[in-house]
This record gives sequence, C-alpha cells and structure tokens, in this order.
Amino acid sequence: MKAREIIRNGLWDQNVVLAQILGMCPTMALTSSASNGLGMGLATTAVLVVSNMAVSSVRKVVTEQVRIPVFIAIIATIVTLVDMSLNAWMHELYKVLGLYIALIVANCAILGRAEAFACKNGVVDSALDGLFMGLGFTAVLTTIGIVREVVGSGTVFSQASLLLGPHFAFLETTVIPGYGGTLMMILPPGGFLTLGLLLAVKKRIEIRQRNAGVAVVSVPSHCGA
Amino acid sequence: MNVATLREGISYQGGLLALFSTVTAAALVIAAVYTSPAIHVAEQHDLETSLAQVLPQGYNDNNLLQDVVHVKDADGVDVEVHRASKAGALKAAVFTTSSSGYAGPIVILVGISRDGVVQGVRVLRHNETPGLGDKIDEAKTNWIHAFEGKALATAKWLVKKDGGDFDQFAGATITPRAVVKAVKEALEFHQAHLDAIYASK
Amino acid sequence: MNTHVINLNPVAAPHAQTGESVSAVMLKVLLALVPATFYAFWLFGAPSFWLWLITIASAAAGEAACLRMGKREVMPQLRDGSAILTGWLLALSLPPWAPWWIGVVGGLFATTLGKQVFGGIGNNLFNPAMIARIALLVSFPVQMTYWVVPNVAPNLFDGLLITLGHTPIPDAMSSATLLGHAKTDLARGVDLLHTSLPGHAFNWVGARVGSLGETSAWLIAAGGVALIFMRVISWHIPVAMLLALAVPAAIGHHENPARYLDATTHLMSGGAMLGAFFIATDYVTSPNTKWGQLVFGAGCGLLTWVIRTYGGYPEGVAFAVLLMNALTPAIDRLVKPRVYGRTYGGKPISAEKGKRS
Repeated sequence: MKAREIIRNGLWDQNVVLAQILGMCPTMALTSSASNGLGMGLATTAVLVVSNMAVSSVRKVVTEQVRIPVFIAIIATIVTLVDMSLNAWMHELYKVLGLYIALIVANCAILGRAEAFACKNGVVDSALDGLFMGLGFTAVLTTIGIVREVVGSGTVFSQASLLLGPHFAFLETTVIPGYGGTLMMILPPGGFLTLGLLLAVKKRIEIRQRNAGVAVVSVPSHCGA
Repeated sequence: MNVATLREGISYQGGLLALFSTVTAAALVIAAVYTSPAIHVAEQHDLETSLAQVLPQGYNDNNLLQDVVHVKDADGVDVEVHRASKAGALKAAVFTTSSSGYAGPIVILVGISRDGVVQGVRVLRHNETPGLGDKIDEAKTNWIHAFEGKALATAKWLVKKDGGDFDQFAGATITPRAVVKAVKEALEFHQAHLDAIYASK
Repeated sequence: MNTHVINLNPVAAPHAQTGESVSAVMLKVLLALVPATFYAFWLFGAPSFWLWLITIASAAAGEAACLRMGKREVMPQLRDGSAILTGWLLALSLPPWAPWWIGVVGGLFATTLGKQVFGGIGNNLFNPAMIARIALLVSFPVQMTYWVVPNVAPNLFDGLLITLGHTPIPDAMSSATLLGHAKTDLARGVDLLHTSLPGHAFNWVGARVGSLGETSAWLIAAGGVALIFMRVISWHIPVAMLLALAVPAAIGHHENPARYLDATTHLMSGGAMLGAFFIATDYVTSPNTKWGQLVFGAGCGLLTWVIRTYGGYPEGVAFAVLLMNALTPAIDRLVKPRVYGRTYGGKPISAEKGKRS
C-alpha cells in the first residue's frame, strides 16, 4: 500500500473518529478542553504506533483462531508499560494524563487497526498507519476540545504548559475575557453536539467534492425534494 | 508433519497463547520491579506536598508523613491524623474529612493548629459542576482561603445566605455549604480529641 | 368545457380531509396561549414582553437560516407558525427578566439543533422548546434560576434596558419559586412544615414568582381546555399527566407532609399546566394512539413528580417530557391501533355477525 494512501486514510478518509466512529469514549470524555484532547490524542498515537508494530511483527506466527486474545494481551501490556513508566519517570505529566492512559486499552481504535491493518501489512507500513491514524485521532480530539473550550469557558489550551512543558505556555489564551461560560459544552452533551456538527461538516465537504468531480451539477436531494 | 497442519492443531494454538501470556506477564513484572521504587518516591512526594499546602510555609520542621496518629471519631471511624511539629513541639494536626456536596462527596484536607485555628483548607476530590461548584478548588478561585485564621468561636460557620460568614457562589449554594460544614466538623473533631491527637507517643 | 375536468388526474389518498392545515392548528394553539401570555406581561412588565419577542424572533430566524442552508423554500414553511409556537412556548418557560441573549441562544437552539437537524417539522424526536430550555438551564444555571417578584412592572423603555442587561436588577427583587424554595429548605434540613415561604411564593390568582407560563396556571389550563373543545388536542395526555402527577403527590403528602409537597402545589407550580396541555401534546413527539397517549401522559406526570421530589433540580416537567419523547417510538410499537377489519391480536374479523374467525 502506498504511503500517501495510508496517510490520507489516517487523517481524513478513514479517520478513526469521523469515518470509523471508533474511540467514542475518549472522544466524549476527554475533550472538555483543547489540552485534554491533545494529550489524550498524543498518548493514543504513541500506543497505536507501538501496538501496530508489535502486532505486525508477530502476524505470521499468530493463527486466526487465537489472534484476538493475543492482540488484546499485546495492547494491554503496552498500555500498562506506558502507564507505569510515565508514573515513574514523568510524574508531573502522569498527574495530568494518568487517569486517561488506562482508558486507552478500551479504545476500539487500537484493536481495530491491529485487526484491519497491522495483521496484514509489514512493520514499516503498520507503524506509518499507527502514526497517521493516531494523528488523525489527535486532530479531531483537539478540534472538538478547542470548540468545547472556547464556547464552554472562553479559553483555549488552558493548562497547556502542564501537558507540554512551560515552553508552551504561550498557547494558553483567553478568547473571550469576562465570559461566564456555557456549561453544557463542558459537560458530556457538548461532546455529542460538537461531534455531530463535525460529522456534518465532513459530510458536506465530501458531498461538495463528489459534486465537483461529477460533470452534471446535481444538488443532493433532501427529504421530500 | 508440515507447519501448515501443525498451525491448525490445538496444541499450537494453546502453546501460542501460553507463550504470549508468559512474555507479556514477564514484561509487566520486569517493568513493575524497575518502576515501583520511582513510583513510590513520586507518590510520597505528592502526598507530602499536598499535606504541606494546608500549613503556612516553614510552620513545621518534621516530615508530616512520619508522624501519624489514628483517632476514632464520634461514629467510630478511624481518622488518620498527621502531626506537625517544630523543634520537637507539636503544633498542628492535618487530616482529611468529607461531606456530601451537590454531586457526591467532597473530600477536603484541613490543617488546624493546636489552639483550634484553621491554618489551611484544600479540596482534594470533588464532582461538583464545572464553572459553578468547582470554585471551591484553589486552582479556580481563592474562596477556600477564607477559612484561614478562623476558629470555632471566631466565625459563624454558615454561608452568608444562611446568616453565616462565608460567601456562597451565584447559582451554587449547596457546594460551599457542604465545605463550610466539613471544615466546621473538622474543628469540632479536633477540639473533642485534643488529648488523643497531641498525646506523646 | 374546462380542460381540467377532462384531464382527470388520479388523486392520491386521503380523499376526505378535515380542512385543517398545519398553520390553522398552530393558529388555534397560539390563540389559546394569548390570555396567559398577556397576563404574564401585566404581571412582570415590559422586560417579559421584550424577552418573549426576542425569543420568537430568534426561533424563526434559526428556522429560516436552516431552510435556506438546505436550499428549501423559506416563507411557506415559516408561515405555518410552528417555529413561532416553539419560540413562544420556550419564552413562557423562561424567567421573565432573563437577559436578551438567553432568548436568542434558546430560540436559535430550539429550531436549529432541536428541530431542523432532524429534518424539520414532523421529524424531530424531542420537543424543540423543551430541548432548548434544558440546554439553557444546564448551560446558564445562574440566569435561568433568577426569578423576580411580580407586580413591579417597569415601562417599555426601562424594561428594554433590563432585558438588554443595561440596568442591573436589584437583589431585593429576586426571589425563589415555590418548588425551588422547598428544594433548598429540604436540602439544608428544614422540613416543609417549618419552612417560611417568601411572600410571593404562592397565590391562587397567580401573582407569584415563576416563569411566564408558571404564574398564570389557570389561564394556561383554560387555554388547554379550549383546545380540547376545539379538537386540536385530545384529553388523553393532559388528563393522564396531571393525574399521574397529582396522585403520587397526594399519597406522599398524606404519608409525610414534612417531606412531600401537596398535590395542589404540584399541579399549580412550575410547568405542570403548560407541559400537560401545550408541550406534552405536541403531535410530532407524542404517541399516535389513545392508549399510547395515556401511557405517555402518565409517564410524563410520574417522572415530573419523581424528578421534583428526588432529583437535583426543583422542576422536572421539561426533563420528564424529553424522557418520554425518547420513549414515544417504543410506545408506538407496543401500543398499536387495531387494524380495520381485524382484532387487536391481528386476526381478521369474520363478516358474519358476532362471529370471529
């Protein structure tokens, strides 16, 4: 498979959230701020790359009948290793992300990529797939986080320096000073609303592209039209 | 017997699962051995800094984690009290307490000096509504500092809406009411068990 | 001879029509709301009028924007009055002196995310006005629980300044609704026999603290009864809902008056009347059969009582209606109408008199 296609799939065509609708738990729970979304996205990306490589390298040994338990064992082990080493050696970061890392195991996207890609492709391609699937996931989570944070609390990337180090303190912006906040956007409904609107935007862009590709200009029919 | 038929056999599959379980378990054990000392140090450090933040800087010279007494409260529940001392003299007690807020329990840490004055309060855990009840969190507002220097006799331990001394938040009264109640109960507990808390070991 | 007669086009069913269009139904519902609304204007003065106007305008604007985005005809759909009714009902559920942007956000939310994203009129799963009210309540709890005492009516211009947030409302004018007051007192351990109600908490005529559609419960109910007589709505949902609210309230109050409010208070407070006659009866989001409507109404009433009594919020009508809206498809599946010529079980009825095959 061509690298270009892998990259395009990860970022847009087969995007974990926008096309596969996988990993809904972190998508809803960890996007109340842009920093949270970014942090969870990056942590997932790291796990995804390593797990894809691990699964790909044992793909010839593992039989079809026992592949699911084997993949799950690999993924759970990697996540636990990441959890323990962050806790031991990057404790400040762990205090921010710690709660979420254990949740990565439950993210179907990881097993999904192992099943759909890594067990059929080489190690390099699988690493690339993991990286760009992860980045696509990160991009969506961060976008949802930005929308929810701006509308919900009037800031963007607050506490980014906790996550990325003091150099990134410049990211912390108050977009709307003196804003009282829209609580719903920080609470779970805000996640669903934002994701729904994002899906609608993707759909609209795709319809536009399809129409631009076809010579006959036909407006997509709406109900009753 | 060739490899293809071997792969289909139950022993190959079972062996494969056993192999992967062993390898992953071994990896976890090794990692646990290597990380656990560092994790222990980091967690002790966390605990110590969180305990120290309810006492003024330089208030004590002992390690709060080392000097612990267990005192039973009125309901017979065991309370772990960390004692602060300077130059060998016991000066204050630090312990956690909780009360139920708007959405589940609010766990707070209080530091109370031996003469019954609040030195500091921090909320350790809560599920209050973001933007409303979470103003009790020191990271959000400095409301929690209002308790410092107050004693049972020197303040009316109610929110202003109920005729007391402490501000409630616009739109959220239950949360600050719960915190005020918890701090007041901590003071009462401290007063009732002075002897037990400051008993020499 | 007229060519139209010669070229007979086959006309699809239904052949018998009542002559009732959507806009005629909407007009009757709006008329039924007029007395209660005017009473609320009189009670709370100009700010409530401006808020009402802004909310309706925003609801209509949201609908028009969505129709335009979907490349559909704007005016015919807007003229059917459903967006106006949505905005009107939402306005009646708001605190009378809420700032202008509450009306704008609520009105836009109701018709766009509450209705048009589902495909517009007839396709929405939930009552748009109640969706918007809940969104506002969850998002802006401070503004949505700020109630003023009645009968302090400023003039039109001063009222506009209040709605625009230019003039701050003095603290002395704020008070708690009856349900809110009861919830607060219970939460801090004061039982209902010893609670001291604020002066404007309850009043049979309706001069009391609350949303526009809460105070004039009698006029709302009168409008609802008129709708039943005009056959715009049937009696099933309102009666089931009010009974299912009143019966548990009466039992609870009889058993422990210190803990449970009485049935009259429940019926006359909050959105009970508005909900029973105007919101739960929405054609789109309630079941089609009579039995289904009874189940639906009873569910709304019971849930309202449960939420008011045990929940975190003092008022539960909006939550109850939305929860039952979600159950409407299930109710419609379970409670099916009898197919003509068949028994409820689905067996054909024999043509012979008194005999069923």
